[in-house]
Amino acid sequence: MMLALLASLALFFLDSRLDYFKPVRSALSTLVYPIQATASLPTNFADWMGDFFQDREQLQEQITVMSATNKLQSIRLQKMQALERENMRLRELLGSSFRLQERVQVAELLTVDLDPFSQQVIIDKGNNYGVYVGQPVLDAHGVMGQVTETSHLSSRVVLLTDPSHSIPVQINRNGLRAVVTGRGLGEELQMDFLPHNADVRKGDLLVTSGLGGRFPVGYPVGKVVSVDFPQGKAFADIKVEPAANLSTSREVMLVLPGEKIHTEPLLAPTPAASEAQATAEPTVPAMSAEQETVTPAASSAETTVTAPQTQTEEAADGDKR
Amino acid sequence: MATSAESRNGFVIVITVIIAMLLMLAPLPDFARYFRPEWVVMTLIYWAMALPHRVSIGVGWLTGLLMDAMMGTTLGIMAFSYALAVYLIARFHLQLRQYPLWQQALTIFSVVLLVHLIAIIAAGPEIDWIIWMPVLTSTLMWPIMYAVLRKIRRTFQVS
Repeated sequence: MMLALLASLALFFLDSRLDYFKPVRSALSTLVYPIQATASLPTNFADWMGDFFQDREQLQEQITVMSATNKLQSIRLQKMQALERENMRLRELLGSSFRLQERVQVAELLTVDLDPFSQQVIIDKGNNYGVYVGQPVLDAHGVMGQVTETSHLSSRVVLLTDPSHSIPVQINRNGLRAVVTGRGLGEELQMDFLPHNADVRKGDLLVTSGLGGRFPVGYPVGKVVSVDFPQGKAFADIKVEPAANLSTSREVMLVLPGEKIHTEPLLAPTPAASEAQATAEPTVPAMSAEQETVTPAASSAETTVTAPQTQTEEAADGDKR
Repeated sequence: MATSAESRNGFVIVITVIIAMLLMLAPLPDFARYFRPEWVVMTLIYWAMALPHRVSIGVGWLTGLLMDAMMGTTLGIMAFSYALAVYLIARFHLQLRQYPLWQQALTIFSVVLLVHLIAIIAAGPEIDWIIWMPVLTSTLMWPIMYAVLRKIRRTFQVS
């Protein structure tokens, strides 16, 4: 018993204080991965059965809805690309560099139930896919959290709602910067350290500010649901509802680190993005046409020269991968 | 002869522990998540009570370590609490075997409470009353657990 006690205490300190212990932890996680994978099998099987026995009408309905949203989004994307180009040009004039698009990799959640009091999930990609600690994790609607631990085949993601997790944000409406922290129980976040006179309103959209360098700029984090100024307290009490579907999303996206400036998402290597490529391609001529009309006469010569250059650079980059 | 009898069907113990781990991970609807019994602790307790020479403190400790890795708690917390549970049960296993089931269940109550207490002290100050529910459900599940595991032990003649 004394031996177990001493060994536990030693492990406890080594694991919580020292970084050297990461490999051991990662090896142990790899060891238990089969158990976790088995635990998530029944749900996966149920999902698969559900997919298999879906009837034709339902599928067709789904296809109509999806193609409609797809059209809508590709139209929005046309405008977006023009605006992105314009933004890049303006930033170039200002002499500041800026990354607009990040590349992402799709991962799937393992449907295992961990301790209901710690807000963590496990995803099915690990070191083998180059997942690293601190990597931002998104879903289709916003930021979900970040990777805290990786093993060979899986990694652990701590969600925004974990009380030990904070994320730097800014209010989309006025650019006011703040920090949003999880609260543990329930799907609610809280905005810390804002004084009573801060310009925050109910319904404000919060996006990542990119400060701290861990999360990329401009992804939605949540929406302010209530603003309260309690008497006798130094800071306002602001509650935020996360934008991501933390409890229902099955597919998540890992943001890959990118050094290059990506002005177009066309050549991203992920399968999801390459599907997007097909729909986005017809919009390219429209975009360049609009670009010329937007550009003032003085700088048009310069931009028409530089634009093809960046495109070829990216093409080469895409080929390499 | 003695050695072959000793190592008889040890794999059954391992399999029951793995099944208990799967039960700890199996997805449950939201309202039920807080009531999940401590399957692994209960399995260990049963084996420690029935066959203390097979399930030693070391086995408890290793199982706890795997649980730590699985649940993402700091390594050593569950390892320690599981080892402690096995120690307590093995220490009093002769008395426990004599008790009627409800009295055993009370012992399970206190041991699982202890395991939980260690986890909560290590996890920090975030405490809600619902955090104690697994202790209660584990106690209620004990008679069923006991019957099932005894059946398994007798069927496979684990000794």
